[in-house]
Amino acid sequence: MKTPEELLAGTPLEKDVTFSAPWEARAFAMAVRLSEAGICTWKEFRTHLIAEIGKADKVRAHGWSEGGDGYYVYFLHALENLLREKNIVDAAALEAKMHEITEAGHEDHEH
Amino acid sequence: MSGSHVTVPTGAALRVKALETLLEQKGLVDSAALDAIVDTYETKVGPRNGARIVAKAWTDPTFRKRLLEDATAAVAELGYGGPEGGHLVAVENTPQVHNLVVCTLCSCYPWPVLGLPPVWYKSFAYRSRAVRDPRGVLKEFGVEVPFNVEVRVWDSSAEQRYLVIPQRPKGTEGMSEEQLTDLVTRDSMIGVGLVKAS
Repeated sequence: MKTPEELLAGTPLEKDVTFSAPWEARAFAMAVRLSEAGICTWKEFRTHLIAEIGKADKVRAHGWSEGGDGYYVYFLHALENLLREKNIVDAAALEAKMHEITEAGHEDHEH
Repeated sequence: MSGSHVTVPTGAALRVKALETLLEQKGLVDSAALDAIVDTYETKVGPRNGARIVAKAWTDPTFRKRLLEDATAAVAELGYGGPEGGHLVAVENTPQVHNLVVCTLCSCYPWPVLGLPPVWYKSFAYRSRAVRDPRGVLKEFGVEVPFNVEVRVWDSSAEQRYLVIPQRPKGTEGMSEEQLTDLVTRDSMIGVGLVKAS
């Protein structure tokens, strides 16, 4: 008998962990918190999530395999799209902050 | 990671860190609240909750009735619920009907009673095949559903999440609710597994 993991070829082996990296947990928690705080509804977030997963499904339908960390990558894209749609965080602000964090990190390393 | 002293995040970790910092500066999220959410889903909420509900339904006919009529209210009696749980519907397996749950579009799942979904539940393979070929999928999970048993597939949504009440196995008549709770697996509450007596 095949295990569920073997059956669903291309799906990563399921370990007994909820999140496979800390960033997945943070992204998940941010989406939950924003909906708890009424900044968005879960349904609004889900609409973006469905769109991202739908795009990936189309790619897969052309024969690409599903990446191991796929789901939370789509989740993160959905979160970014939602925040952009709500005029909370735009792409430029995100890029600038990423640059700032990278620079600050490298400065720390030089000391 | 031992021996590594690289602390600068890259890739997705960097994007998430930047988002969190921006949202924190805007006063929309705070680190402690995010920690609490992560902790809840990593350690507090999981299929044990659902197993308790199933065991209670097996041993308490009035609870079973309330669960089938209004699962959201019935599980709230046991202290389970939450803003993203959506409306919960309990579907019962019987000798005539086997229920199977999927979310074809994304990953909707009854968080308060089962925790977060397993990786395979979110996979393209499961989402695309559960509706088209439920008996085939079940067979590959080791569940052979006889042809005289109807298979019902429930597609979850933001508003409606499903909990399968599996059939109580034979040979468990003398067991306590606690002992029964130990028998109930996550997969049986999604509908891809059966509960065994031991």
